[in-house]
Amino acid sequence: MPLLIDRQPVTDDSWQPLDADATQLPAGQDLIVPLARFDELADALERHDGAVAPMVTGEDDLTPLLDSLERFAMIAVEFPVFRDGRGFSIARILRQAGYTGQLRAVGNVARDQLGYLERCGFDAFAFSDEVYAEHFLNAFDEISVRYQGCADDPRPIYLQN
Amino acid sequence: MYIYNEVDQKIVDERVAQFRDQTRRYLAGELSDDEFLAVRLMNGLYIQRHAPMLRVAIPYGLISSRQLRKLAHIARTYDKGYGHFTTRTNIQFNWPKLEDVPDILAELAEVQMHAIQTSGNCIRNTTTDQFAGVTPDELEDPRPWCEIIRQWSTLHPEFAYLPRKFKIAVTGSPRDRAASQVHDIGLHLVQNDAGEIGFEVLVGGGLGRTPVIGKLIRPFLQKKDLLSYLEAILRVYNLKGRRDNKYKARIKILVEAMGIDAFRDEVEAEWEKIRGSELELTDAEIARVKGFFQPFAYDADAANDTTLQQKLDSDEAFRVWYERNTHEHKVPGYRSVVVSLKPQLAPAGDITDRQMEVVADLAEQYSFGEARSTHEQNLVLADVKNADLYAVWQALDEHNMARPNIGTLTDMIVCPGFDFCALANAKTLNIAEQINRAFDDLDYLYDLGEIRLNMSGCINACGHHHVGGIGILGVDKKGEDWYQITIGGSDREDAALGKVLGKAVAADDVADTLKKILETYVELRTEEERFVDTVRRVGVTPFKENVYATAH
Repeated sequence: MPLLIDRQPVTDDSWQPLDADATQLPAGQDLIVPLARFDELADALERHDGAVAPMVTGEDDLTPLLDSLERFAMIAVEFPVFRDGRGFSIARILRQAGYTGQLRAVGNVARDQLGYLERCGFDAFAFSDEVYAEHFLNAFDEISVRYQGCADDPRPIYLQN
Repeated sequence: MYIYNEVDQKIVDERVAQFRDQTRRYLAGELSDDEFLAVRLMNGLYIQRHAPMLRVAIPYGLISSRQLRKLAHIARTYDKGYGHFTTRTNIQFNWPKLEDVPDILAELAEVQMHAIQTSGNCIRNTTTDQFAGVTPDELEDPRPWCEIIRQWSTLHPEFAYLPRKFKIAVTGSPRDRAASQVHDIGLHLVQNDAGEIGFEVLVGGGLGRTPVIGKLIRPFLQKKDLLSYLEAILRVYNLKGRRDNKYKARIKILVEAMGIDAFRDEVEAEWEKIRGSELELTDAEIARVKGFFQPFAYDADAANDTTLQQKLDSDEAFRVWYERNTHEHKVPGYRSVVVSLKPQLAPAGDITDRQMEVVADLAEQYSFGEARSTHEQNLVLADVKNADLYAVWQALDEHNMARPNIGTLTDMIVCPGFDFCALANAKTLNIAEQINRAFDDLDYLYDLGEIRLNMSGCINACGHHHVGGIGILGVDKKGEDWYQITIGGSDREDAALGKVLGKAVAADDVADTLKKILETYVELRTEEERFVDTVRRVGVTPFKENVYATAH
């Protein structure tokens, strides 16, 4: 699965999504686990000997996550369809709350959203094999000017220089 | 008006290059229909019944002579020689070729124009009072605030994939000429008890399938907090607005579902986190933007003119036009001229390339090189000296833009309807023509006084039919066009939704039905009572009885 981190293609990625029907956590594996399953899997997560990253969707209540951000080296935000823009606000809320780890956009992420996603605080993007192409790397710099502050730089244009 | 600096120019130039590449990838089959749909909509490009339609932004309706000439050039070169002004004060071209659109956008960028965010589920063009900055009843000029919102909302990375489109209007006078109460957010410049000027904030207004009048979310917002408060509202909406059904996705549905108090609590909680941040506007930035909207160098001698009175006394047609189509100006000796795009025989809001150039020339010669577009689909020359009004009238009259019908029944807001729009259920242009034919007696129109007639060809309500004093909605019944009529609506400070008169009428009967409605009004009105006030006082029933009793 193609992955960009900090605008670079990355091949050695240790994170694996937890199978949807799994009730056991594979030992030693760094896992991406839906936040919605955290309660149900609480004991297994506690005992797990790999790292765990929550996967957040627009349906989740972020409040418990905001209290424990420092526990996670990575948080994934799922885009169920590319037009579902909730992930943009989720990213901003997580960054505003002080989260500094990797923020990874997963699901249906479109090339032409990459610049905006990065501005909102995402630094990693996972794509399916069918959609990814090398020219995706060009998408970040197509618009270089930023009128408004965002997660990348909170200053509006008139404070930037 | 606001003049681009290097940075503003760079944004539109880069955006053109970006869209050129997106179009290339789409035509090469590298970009899916669905993805291209989203990016082309954010560049104002629709695929319509006959051809693509390109909607060009006119930020808060302000346009220069140079820009108007460019629009004329585009109409002539890439289209069929005309454009159409919309209720969002933008202009639409109905016949561009898809592969020409990047070139059109490049031409627009040459004159500091673009089509960014004129469609799509993002923050749209902010609109305001067409007499902003020149009307005597104004507390403060709303245009600098529109420009501040424009910059904040342009390519805002967080709010490009909202549940649905999002429209903001700003007013600076107690008289609402921007239909602000039927916007997703309505901002009113108001003064508080301490004498400070800030914003009254309404949220959750809108038309479409579920018309709603905006609700008060905050009676007074300090100016410096404008953007942080808007950002808080947008964030709550982006996270909580419905995405399962596009007809229930506007913020009005969310506010109704949560209740305004719960919605306000969420917004204020979010706002608390960001209000002191870099979103807080600085005095220097406010002053910088206001600097672009300073009063012109008005002629101190303008009020001493005596020629206007002579012309009014000697030329009846001019006098009638002056009374109907000009508006008072805060500077003595000046008037604002409304350029009527509601002629007898052309669609409301349509303008030819030649007419655009005429308006550009008149603006340059008589109105400091600027014109404005209105949400009623007319244009305005805001700063014309009394002594020049006669010449302006003559030129407008020669080019069919001086029909003295502003504010009357035939100053209709009309969407393009089934003839052009892929969404429409019924035609509108033929009905407008029928109404124009039936109500061509100016004396009768003047006797009827101020009536806002709004017509939409479908339930999406681009023609604002719910807030017309008379609203007409085209509906499709088994392949035939029928028209549902509402009365008593208003888009002004007394905003109200019209009430349905009764069952829909056949296409051929619309004008006759209006005649009966207006007969009833003339019979029941008290002296000086506007149509909408009579409807409010007596209710729908007398109108209904007169219309349907004699039917068959």
